Amino acid sequence: MDGYIIGTIIKAILVLAIISALAGFGTYIERKILAFMQRRLGPTHVGPYGLLQIAADGIKLFTKEDFIPQGANRIIFMVAPIITAATAFIALAAVPLFPEFEIFGIKVQPIVSDLNIGLLFVIAMMGLGLYGPLLAGMAQDNKWGLIGSARTAIQFLSYEVVTGLSLLAPVMMVGSLSLIDFNNYQAGGIGNWIVWSQPVAFILFLISGFAETNRTPFDLLEHEAEIISGYATEYSGMRWGMFFIGEYTNMITIGFLASLVFLGGFNPMGFIPGGIAIILKVSFLFFLMLWVRASWPHVRPDQLMWLCWKVLMPIAVINILITGIVLMV
Amino acid sequence: MEAIAFYVFAVLITALFLVTVFSKNALYAMSSLAAGMVLISGIFFVLGADFLGAVQLVVYSGAVMALYAFGMMFFDATKDVKEKNPSAKTIFLLSGASAVILVVIFSAPQIGRNIKALVTGTPGADNPHVIGEVLFTKYLIPFEVAAVMLLVAMIAGIILAGKKMDVSLSESEDDLVDEASELKEQK
Amino acid sequence: MIENFKDRNVGVQHYRFLKLEPTPTTKMGKFKRFLRRTFKLELFVGLKVTFREMIKALFFGEMHTVKYPLEKLPISPRFRAIHQMLRLLESGHYRCIGCGLCEKICISDCIRMDTRYDENQRKEVVEYTINFGRCIFCGYCAEVCPELAIVHGQRYEVATEQRASYALFEDMLTPIDQLKNQKEYPGFGAPSPNADENIKKTPLAY
Repeated sequence: MDGYIIGTIIKAILVLAIISALAGFGTYIERKILAFMQRRLGPTHVGPYGLLQIAADGIKLFTKEDFIPQGANRIIFMVAPIITAATAFIALAAVPLFPEFEIFGIKVQPIVSDLNIGLLFVIAMMGLGLYGPLLAGMAQDNKWGLIGSARTAIQFLSYEVVTGLSLLAPVMMVGSLSLIDFNNYQAGGIGNWIVWSQPVAFILFLISGFAETNRTPFDLLEHEAEIISGYATEYSGMRWGMFFIGEYTNMITIGFLASLVFLGGFNPMGFIPGGIAIILKVSFLFFLMLWVRASWPHVRPDQLMWLCWKVLMPIAVINILITGIVLMV
Repeated sequence: MEAIAFYVFAVLITALFLVTVFSKNALYAMSSLAAGMVLISGIFFVLGADFLGAVQLVVYSGAVMALYAFGMMFFDATKDVKEKNPSAKTIFLLSGASAVILVVIFSAPQIGRNIKALVTGTPGADNPHVIGEVLFTKYLIPFEVAAVMLLVAMIAGIILAGKKMDVSLSESEDDLVDEASELKEQK
Repeated sequence: MIENFKDRNVGVQHYRFLKLEPTPTTKMGKFKRFLRRTFKLELFVGLKVTFREMIKALFFGEMHTVKYPLEKLPISPRFRAIHQMLRLLESGHYRCIGCGLCEKICISDCIRMDTRYDENQRKEVVEYTINFGRCIFCGYCAEVCPELAIVHGQRYEVATEQRASYALFEDMLTPIDQLKNQKEYPGFGAPSPNADENIKKTPLAY
């Protein structure tokens, strides 16, 4: 029991440290890739290939004045970014990151908490992430912030339905909510991936994943051209940074979720061992998010609601119906 | 261990809901209500009802509170709310009486010590399976009735909201909208 | 690309008109367009374009960025930057003959020169300054100079603590050790490349 607690604490600290570092690295990758796609160079001057730009940004964020506007609701204003970052990391707690491995003779399961309802828990926690932008926008006494948080609410109400319904079909196939069961279900090689039997659900999940992480086709809450910076208008320094650590962590979580549920998880792919296979899959999904950001324009709020409620939700329901019929027959 | 977790959660939930009731600031009330909802799911997790805990997170903390929050957009969240209660006594008596009745209803079987699980699930099955079994065997009719009620509510909502859906309120002037609705009534 | 930039040929770039289909008005037409757009995968064309640009930039050296302080774009020869005083290539003596035309024509009245006869009875420039606080870089001085002695150079980075540091004759003059690098400047004030063809005999007899 004691060993279990200590192990869990070590795992939690490792996940927190590595993923938040990766989230910082994600900003660098995003800037680089967006730059290349527009035939620019991106950050080059700080360190080799501009790699130390992350450190420079970090120093800047930490030393910047922590600004709280006069009319703002101080407590809620200060708590809101912490909610975003915390829910993003808590969601990651139920995600199995790698296959089991052995270190110092101890078998390690790289999952902080193996819940038997892992999938539902991750979705619930990422859904709770909405409180960050929502409270931030309402507490800051700024019209752009208020519009940003109103958009948060409508975006959440739109995509959450599609996320749930699109994941329901694979859940029906596997018959479990545990992500490890999902992984084991697809153990028989690339032919067994759920994406081949549920392509519609995969596309729906990707679309709602983009909405969930506020990535470009659906980045309504902080679209600069329309509402300055949305919910983050009045934020500066590390509080602002925390929103973005949360956002990039959510991107990583969605990447892990999509590869675990649809793309075969951490099963070895031919000669590639499982741990590297899942890193490749998550990196590809991360790259896809940046690629889409470089290519596509973003939609209006009414178009998002139209898309989610009138197009994607019926498709998801029909998909569940067909899956159910096939499973019954 | 479980007892410590329970008391911590219980104290926190009570404190947060007290803030919800007594705070004059709508924003405080809403955020403490949301936090309390999240902590209630903590109690579910302590009891080993993982599925219900996650559902509590999704439905109450997520969807329902998001709707409340959407309603909050129409207030000035940074101002204090001025309460109008003409007779404090009536309110005190009514709310106190209903609270006492609720406590008695829920604590009477507790004191009687005759709480029993009505359904014992298949031993060895995990949480979602047991809930599925119970819902679709013993409680099938209440479950379906609830579903139909939600459907009715949804249709009613669409009809209420969709009265002037074919008229764009933002592009036309007010009297034009009125004309359009009059025309509809004549038809 | 750089040639286009130099010539400023904005008129002959290869613009094309896109053939856009008319916006459908009927509901059926809209639905057909929706289907066409969905199944022709038009969104993926966008993804393809950005990916192609990234490959071009990374592997075919078509990066647009100019690292400015390290690299510079060539500027147009018609650009009028800070003045330069040129020297004669053979003797190394400055070209200015002290005629004073530039001082006369200067519309913002910023050129001052002082001359005297030296021992060879040749005009010598004692003092020559341009007040860059007043200069409007109109280019008349370079145009009027009969000896191509004063031209507008290409030195456009002129942020300084004191404008006076550009203003003296010695500052603008080509340094004597740089003489072999001095080019017959094609820029403002220089005769055009086809100047010989344009010269016509002055008609003496009518």
